[in-house]
Amino acid sequence: MCFNRCGLIARVEQGIVTKLDPNPKFTKSRGMLCARGNAGVAQVYDPDRLKTPMLRVGARGEGKWKAISWDEAIELAASRMKDIAAKHTRCGMLFSAGADMQSGFVSRFAEAFGSFNVTSHESLCLLSGNRAFVDTFGDVPVPDVKHSRYVILAGANRLEALITPDSMDLVAIMRDGAKVVVLDPRYTKSAALASEWHPIRPGTDMAFMLALANVIISEKLYDAAYMAERTSGFDKLAAHVAEMTPEWAEKQTGIPAADIARIARELAAAAPASMVYPGRRSSDYENATQIRRSFAIVNALLGNYDRPGGLVPARPAGLKKVAFEPPWYDDTPPGRVDAKSVPLLFDDEGSFVLTREAVIKGAPYPIKGWFVYKTNPMATAPERRKTREMIDKLDFMVVVDITMSDTAWMADLVLPAPSAMERQDPVQALQAGAEGACLVWRDPVIPAMYESRPVFDILKALAGKLGLGEFFDFDIAGYRKQQLAAFSEAEEILKRDGVFYPPNPPLGSTDGQPFKTPSQKIELFSTRYADLGLDPLPVYTPPKPSPEANRRFRLVVGRSACVTQGSSTNNALLTEFEPENTLWLNEEAAKELGIRQGDVVQVESPAGKGELKALVTPKIRKDTVYMLSGFGSISGGLSRTKGVGASIVELIESRFDTICGNSAIHETFLSVRKKGAA
Amino acid sequence: MKRRSITIIAALILALAVASLAFAEANARKGKFLYRSKCRTCHGAAASDLSPNSKTQADWKKTFAKVESIKCYKDWKGVSAEDRADIFAYLHDYAKDSPSPAKCN
Repeated sequence: MCFNRCGLIARVEQGIVTKLDPNPKFTKSRGMLCARGNAGVAQVYDPDRLKTPMLRVGARGEGKWKAISWDEAIELAASRMKDIAAKHTRCGMLFSAGADMQSGFVSRFAEAFGSFNVTSHESLCLLSGNRAFVDTFGDVPVPDVKHSRYVILAGANRLEALITPDSMDLVAIMRDGAKVVVLDPRYTKSAALASEWHPIRPGTDMAFMLALANVIISEKLYDAAYMAERTSGFDKLAAHVAEMTPEWAEKQTGIPAADIARIARELAAAAPASMVYPGRRSSDYENATQIRRSFAIVNALLGNYDRPGGLVPARPAGLKKVAFEPPWYDDTPPGRVDAKSVPLLFDDEGSFVLTREAVIKGAPYPIKGWFVYKTNPMATAPERRKTREMIDKLDFMVVVDITMSDTAWMADLVLPAPSAMERQDPVQALQAGAEGACLVWRDPVIPAMYESRPVFDILKALAGKLGLGEFFDFDIAGYRKQQLAAFSEAEEILKRDGVFYPPNPPLGSTDGQPFKTPSQKIELFSTRYADLGLDPLPVYTPPKPSPEANRRFRLVVGRSACVTQGSSTNNALLTEFEPENTLWLNEEAAKELGIRQGDVVQVESPAGKGELKALVTPKIRKDTVYMLSGFGSISGGLSRTKGVGASIVELIESRFDTICGNSAIHETFLSVRKKGAA
Repeated sequence: MKRRSITIIAALILALAVASLAFAEANARKGKFLYRSKCRTCHGAAASDLSPNSKTQADWKKTFAKVESIKCYKDWKGVSAEDRADIFAYLHDYAKDSPSPAKCN
């Protein structure tokens, strides 16, 4: 239901999970559990859960299924995968897995099977930010919010889109006098609780950041020795931002120049215990990597890398890789199906949007099979009809999930997975700011319900049928032992406490070490980008206006504290807080359109249309509308969200980050009219 | 003079060799397989002592420009030039300062 993996203690009475409580030893969540964590119980006992393997018997998407046995299901999946490999090479199978503690086994299986085509949810979410920070710092640092005195939150609604420990730490530091500045076109709960809020014009964050750089450099608010020693391209950056004054940025962002200058000075005065929060989802604009580069550059100017209250490198977790030697198949194509479609694709993540395009075209080579585990592109990837078009090109599609997601609804074969309460999972490392890494695992508190089976067991059975049994010749307990080989005491501690803290090097231990960039310094000026013909410094271009006058609203999307996209909206408890999504519409704009509170409105973009109720509010800019993700489901297996509200993926156009292929889901303009109006 | 031109020619050959290693259509994915099957026997079953992440791209180039000076070179019998190019592509393309660094956990 969520990627934060908060430590839980389950209360089990007569074999029934009755309540979940936070594990006090798990400090990453600060001893707390949010609404979604509490609602985990409702997921276990959700009548919508898949109970047996189901084979499609009607037309695709028609919803006619037949329950079959596991033996039949495994036999069928193995034989179809074998056929696809024989006909289209092993890369003819695509594997997609969501953020789950067993997802690593899907990648392992794909590698043993011989397919390079693996995607996850990441290329619909956070890759642009990762790209920008890897290309600037050589890694993706973690914010140490807890010790920060000044945080700029831009493109991140951290008090609703919860991330542990950042969400709790933001509240705690504000209580202790730290300042949090929110830039958002919408008056979010983060904005409401922040020290100050600026309703920035969407798509102009880079102008704001470059103006901060302008003030910090022109007023010499940086540490000159640090810049000389640890960064490269300072002079080029200084020349680049020389004209990008707060007055210039005011015209772009709508934020008063005096505020921009003041924020720059305050941010620099609090450095290095200050930051531009790097954020998580960065799938917003086609130049999202460059926007996030501007975030990274301001952080570099603050000298906050590996400093308390700044951005700290991910710490060594000490987990051992469980090595294996997958076979090589000489007939496989040279690379991923989306290889070279953008200059800097992450090779292990790829791009879902561009992979989908390649599957539709059948080029550079055909993909005819799809194995999906707990990820739901039919509800999360832009332009749903294109995902449907992709699926129509397939010969075989199998989905492993807990419920009949919109993606499962399209499959040939659906296999029931157990909930987190019913599984033994491998060890995973999590990062928590300055506190560094912690290791967690999961043990079942009740047996797997119905006929559900963990994806590990499914992959192991498939591997056996496909002659790949040697690559899954272990069980989870044995796998964990290998992962924990460096720590003899870890297993006992994990059993006792549910979490293990490996030794954590003190902050500042990277001082004097080279950064993992081509110049071995923080690259203000990116030599990699220069070599690839990309802008080596982020070049601001004003956001493109809507191409059509009647589509005057830019659509921005997000989530609330009770929603993790489609994986939580159908939950019986959470649905009481968020029963449907609405269209946030500025009250003046609504007046012009004759729309009143609660009216049903029709929204339309070149990608599609939808209907939902209007939330008429002063809390959003006049040029912007907002919707929550996770609604407007099409699956007949989702009794609480099917046809309820509108789906973001019916509306969002298929744009992508031109550097790394991440989806770009804030590039769509909508028309809005009252239902029934002429 | 003669010695100098020999040095220059040697340097040129070396540069070309490195360039061809780096830019030929070497297959990094196959290189990963070859590395695992041919190198890992010595370089740790958990691949902990040596991986692409152990060096920068420039260091991998330097290392492979003078393979003879690599400590374990005498054990490289049976590794063809083509295989070596693939292994180099794997180590180089996923080096610690590469655009797609190999993950360590």
